[in-house]
Amino acid sequence: MFNNDERYWDIQKLNKWFAISSVLFLFSMAWTFIDDNDDEFKEYQRQFRQLEIKITENNLEKELDVVKADRVSYEKDLSDAQSILDSKNEKLSTLQTSLIEVKGRYYNENMIYQGQKAEVDGLKYLVEAENAHHEDSSHGPSHKDDYSAALELLHKYKLIKETSESEIKDIETAIKKMNAEVKRCQDNLNVVLKDVIIVDNKLTKIDRKRMTFANKVGDVIRDLPIIDFLDPYYKVNQIVVREVKYDVNFAAVPKVDRCTSCHLGIENPGFVDAPQPFTTHPDLDLYITSASSHPMDRFGCTSCHAGRGRGTTFNSSTHTPNSEEDKLRWQEDYDWEVMHHWLQPMLPTRYTEASCFKCHNNDMDIKGADKLMLGLSLVDVAGCNGCHLVQDFPQLAKIGPSLQKLDEKVSREWVAKWIQNPKEFRHSTKMPSPFGQENQNTPEMESWNNAEIFAISSFLVDENDGHSSDSDYRFIGDSEKGEALFNSIGCRGCHIVEPDPTESDITLFEYTKLHGPNLIGVGSKTSAEWVYNWIKDPMAYNPDSRMPNLRVNDQDAKDITAYIMSSLNESFDNKPDVALDEDALNKVAFTHLSKQMPESHAEKKLAGMDLDEKLDYVARKSITHYGCFGCHSISGFEKAKPIGTDLTEEGSKPTIKLDFGLLHDIDHTNFAWFEAKLRNPRIYDRGKVSPPMDKLKMPNFDFNQTEIEAITTAILGFNGNKVDEEIKAHNRVDELAQKGSRLIKQYNCQGCHLINDFGGQITDIIGAPEYSPPNLNTEGKKANPDWLLSFLNEPSIIRPNLQVRMPSFHQISNEDWNAIIKYFQHLDNEKISYRDDLAIDKSTLEFNGGKVLHDLGACDNCHFYGTTFPKQDASTWAPNLAMTKERLNPDWVKEWLREPQTIMPGTKMPAPFLPTSDLLSIDGAEADWGKELIKINGDTEAMLDGLRDYVWSIKGKTNIDKTIQDYFDKNGYEFGDDDDDDDDDWGDDEDW
Amino acid sequence: MIDTFKSVIDALSTPTVSFTLLSIFTPLVFPPTDWFDKINRKFGIWRLWTKPGLYTGMGFITFFFVVGYFDPNFNITLTKPDNFPIILMIYSMFFFLWLGMSKAYVNDERIDKGLKPVEYNDPDDKVLVWPDLVYIEFISLILFMVFLIVWSILVAAPLEEPANPATTPNPSKAPWYFLGLQEMLVYFDPWLAGIVFPMFIIFGMMAIPYMDTNPKGDGYYSFKERRIGIFIFMYGWLILWLFLIVIGTFFRGPNWNFFGPFEYWDPHKVVPLNNVNLSEYFWVKMLNTGLPSNIMLRESLGFITVFAYMFMFPIFLAKTWFKDLFAKIGPVRYTSLMLFGLSMFSLPIKMYLRWFFNLKYIIAIPEWFFNI
Repeated sequence: MFNNDERYWDIQKLNKWFAISSVLFLFSMAWTFIDDNDDEFKEYQRQFRQLEIKITENNLEKELDVVKADRVSYEKDLSDAQSILDSKNEKLSTLQTSLIEVKGRYYNENMIYQGQKAEVDGLKYLVEAENAHHEDSSHGPSHKDDYSAALELLHKYKLIKETSESEIKDIETAIKKMNAEVKRCQDNLNVVLKDVIIVDNKLTKIDRKRMTFANKVGDVIRDLPIIDFLDPYYKVNQIVVREVKYDVNFAAVPKVDRCTSCHLGIENPGFVDAPQPFTTHPDLDLYITSASSHPMDRFGCTSCHAGRGRGTTFNSSTHTPNSEEDKLRWQEDYDWEVMHHWLQPMLPTRYTEASCFKCHNNDMDIKGADKLMLGLSLVDVAGCNGCHLVQDFPQLAKIGPSLQKLDEKVSREWVAKWIQNPKEFRHSTKMPSPFGQENQNTPEMESWNNAEIFAISSFLVDENDGHSSDSDYRFIGDSEKGEALFNSIGCRGCHIVEPDPTESDITLFEYTKLHGPNLIGVGSKTSAEWVYNWIKDPMAYNPDSRMPNLRVNDQDAKDITAYIMSSLNESFDNKPDVALDEDALNKVAFTHLSKQMPESHAEKKLAGMDLDEKLDYVARKSITHYGCFGCHSISGFEKAKPIGTDLTEEGSKPTIKLDFGLLHDIDHTNFAWFEAKLRNPRIYDRGKVSPPMDKLKMPNFDFNQTEIEAITTAILGFNGNKVDEEIKAHNRVDELAQKGSRLIKQYNCQGCHLINDFGGQITDIIGAPEYSPPNLNTEGKKANPDWLLSFLNEPSIIRPNLQVRMPSFHQISNEDWNAIIKYFQHLDNEKISYRDDLAIDKSTLEFNGGKVLHDLGACDNCHFYGTTFPKQDASTWAPNLAMTKERLNPDWVKEWLREPQTIMPGTKMPAPFLPTSDLLSIDGAEADWGKELIKINGDTEAMLDGLRDYVWSIKGKTNIDKTIQDYFDKNGYEFGDDDDDDDDDWGDDEDW
Repeated sequence: MIDTFKSVIDALSTPTVSFTLLSIFTPLVFPPTDWFDKINRKFGIWRLWTKPGLYTGMGFITFFFVVGYFDPNFNITLTKPDNFPIILMIYSMFFFLWLGMSKAYVNDERIDKGLKPVEYNDPDDKVLVWPDLVYIEFISLILFMVFLIVWSILVAAPLEEPANPATTPNPSKAPWYFLGLQEMLVYFDPWLAGIVFPMFIIFGMMAIPYMDTNPKGDGYYSFKERRIGIFIFMYGWLILWLFLIVIGTFFRGPNWNFFGPFEYWDPHKVVPLNNVNLSEYFWVKMLNTGLPSNIMLRESLGFITVFAYMFMFPIFLAKTWFKDLFAKIGPVRYTSLMLFGLSMFSLPIKMYLRWFFNLKYIIAIPEWFFNI
């Protein structure tokens, strides 16, 4: 067509180029489609489909196996019925033919009828219009006659139609009757095969081989590109979690989780053994299922696991390996790599519990989150929140002892040596080491630090160089008796005496033993006088101490003092005092001064200071610098601000904001950073050249791996991830009860008592549960709150034969007791705090029956009745029944009487014998049981009510402490069949 | 061997060295005068525009990238999806430069021999828009679409984390085509580097046909016939624009510190920048007094310097070396040429002042946000 000579280019050549480029373009478009449809998750879904088919086939086989025997007879019935039906085939077909015929006729008749009805309606309108305008009859002829004639015709048609209708019904009934037996047999068979049919239906839906041809075609077509927007089989599964937000800095958007696009078996218990990503969730009772407390459609996946929920490939969903082996394997199998730009990558499985905190942020008992609970307890116990503010988990009280009156207790030299290395004195101390760390190991730094230590010690112990250790005979009793007392009256609830470090599991339970200091080397630390006074009244020395008053008498206090003072630490004694290098002191003082003023002024000022002034100045600056006041109460530092980084949202701080220093061998993840920091707080100073004041200063807590992981979990839990208020767990728990639960931890109530199924380690020392502090599992339902408050404020004896005693926690305010009581009530779901007195009618049948049961039960063998002693000896003594009325809740007492063992396993209280109606109907029963019980006739509720009412009527002195003390003063605790009851001296009062 | 190569490249890449070398090299490659041309001939630099020159150049660039790909540090920068266009740019710029210059050299030789340029056509010999133009454009369009589609399939969009005003990326880099401007910010106040200079570049390029009315080279490639113009343009385009983009892409790491291509981007690196203003040099260092409180007095030397550079210097030139030029093109064109030309050359001048004298600003009035 073209004349090529007229063209600048060779058109044929251009045509070829055009063809080539068009083909390339076509290919690139095809590639686009392939790339777009070739998603990783689809491959997993295909694999899962095969797996599901396999598992369903197995199930089908299993189900078929189950019904193998049963189905035979039903199938025979069915075939019999079928053959009977077949024999009547001719009749059936006649009926069916006539049915068709009659139905045809009926159709016609019905059409005529409906047509006539329309006519009638039309005429009806005309007649009504006529009636409405009857005065004006000029509109034409009346239709009334037409109407009645039409109506009559309609009636006729109706009758014809109805005849056919009933004829149809008759034929249908006849056919049904003939088929009925077959249908019944089929139904019976179906009932047997129910499960098989369900599985089979499922299989035909997923297994292409079992589909009809049309379904097979449909199954292919539904997943074709573009068409797959309708109803594809392979598709992204997504959960929108409205109540948990993802923060994109300028807005918070609901989380969208597509994890189930690949994790297809997550809620199906049949995939426990399937390979990943199809494995069932390991805890379906707590998560995923709609019956659990964290159903998947409300909580999604990334609310707990974090990560990029929208990702539909292994890498884009930011999986994080839990171990080095996982990492290598993933790199091998999935080309795994870190997705740097997603700020909240998935938590490695060992840290998943961190996510519990975002909803359970003021819940001290998160079931199933042991690591997080341990971590939070450690944050409390190690005093992390003394230096690091955590708004969602604030410090309740300073964790270390008060240093206000230190000069009464220890010497300056001891303090200096202690600060220099606390673990040298007490291996298990919670006091972290601020000195002697790796960034302080140059000689200059050592003398610098020694100057600081010396200054701090002389600041804290400023009077007469403190009180040196001595063993004044006036305060020393019998050490052996002291040891026995120490082990029996309850000291071991919080204290251990272990001179050498022992390997023990790090669990919350073990931690309840370490609540107070490990009492070793006390003889090298302080004086007998101080220990004696401390035992007698801890609050006299430190009103904020958590040490309770055990109300020991003078002699016991002396004995215990003797025991505690007997432990010496010679190597610590022999260690030389911290040497003060005045040049170093000057340097420290000058450095601090020159931060406040020009150097020339600083020099002048320093020259004008004498040694004491310098020490005082350096001490104040050093305490501020190291933040000692975070844990200790120190006069002059009451209003000092915590020195550490705010950790409120530390868990969501971008990793890029964590200073890895010059280190390159630590993974760039936040948890690796926290782990390394906790293991060695000064690690990120490695290689840095910083002046003394700029060095990292977090002290070393010598945490072990378990503790590090637990604390890291807690820190990861302190994050800025937003959840709606409605989803938070505390909505279901009273704020006061929450406080109570933390107070219980703070005062280590669970060192002695079992509360919420946790605690009571002292039982291991005492031996028998019945001589140990009581189990408080049902305390919220059990105790009358008024009485409980007065008891907690002033404990009196309840269980007379217990040598271990409830101490007086005078430092706990009414407000805090209230929180604790509220917590007990919360645990038992008890809503009532105030009750009427239980009204007793002594004339009722129940009451009198109860009296009989009481007498027969011989309660007075063990129980006190006011000051009346039980009949049996002290080893079986039980609480004073005269106290019951004010102490206990009537409803609880009834339950208690029903079955004491379920409420308090191991109790010596037997369930009272309640006669059954059979027993009561034997001859002569009235003589044995009395006429009231015969009338009650074995009604358990009535008998328990009566017994309870009778107990309520018991009168007597409620506080019988004096009586009991006198008894034990005289007789001692020698009744014991238990090895712990070997001591004699009973204190000036009681226990429970 | 490779390590030596790397450390040599690292050392050469330092802005002071590389910029100076390239500034010296540019007039040798695009000789604006006979003197430079002589050197060019002597060292055989013109061979760059022959086919072996193309292969050598392409080979060197490829060698550099291949070595860089296997270097753990350069690999990170090189394989960033954002930087892919820069790599394309380096190849395509070299190729098209070579194409133009090699054609120009052929034509120059023909013109020397008195022949017409290769592209010369009879003025009556015309070609049709369709199909001669539109058809090849259409084919190019399709091929380019194919390229874009394949690129988008193979390399995922370089999305990063949600923007967070509290956590800005380090280094924070502009899109690749603005990295030259961002590099200018190192030496100039934002209002100059971000507003005035970009506008000068646009208006300056629009003004080129009005300033340079030399009709030679219309419709055909030629270097010799307008070598000064090509030299100036190439200096501005290659060194002051493209090279600055390359620096911004490959050599600027955390805190906008300079890193050689094979160096590790250490965020801890600290380079002292004790920059001093001209007024401080004058009053404090030379006269040993404090800065005058009167702003105009304080910055008077700066104003005089800028005034002298922008207004006195052109007059001086017009009376001496550019006498002929001034006579030829007249005051209006001369003024425009000087305005744009001196602005352009103020960039290298300012860079050297910064490097050698730590000069921060010639006029520094932070009170009014006016700094030059």
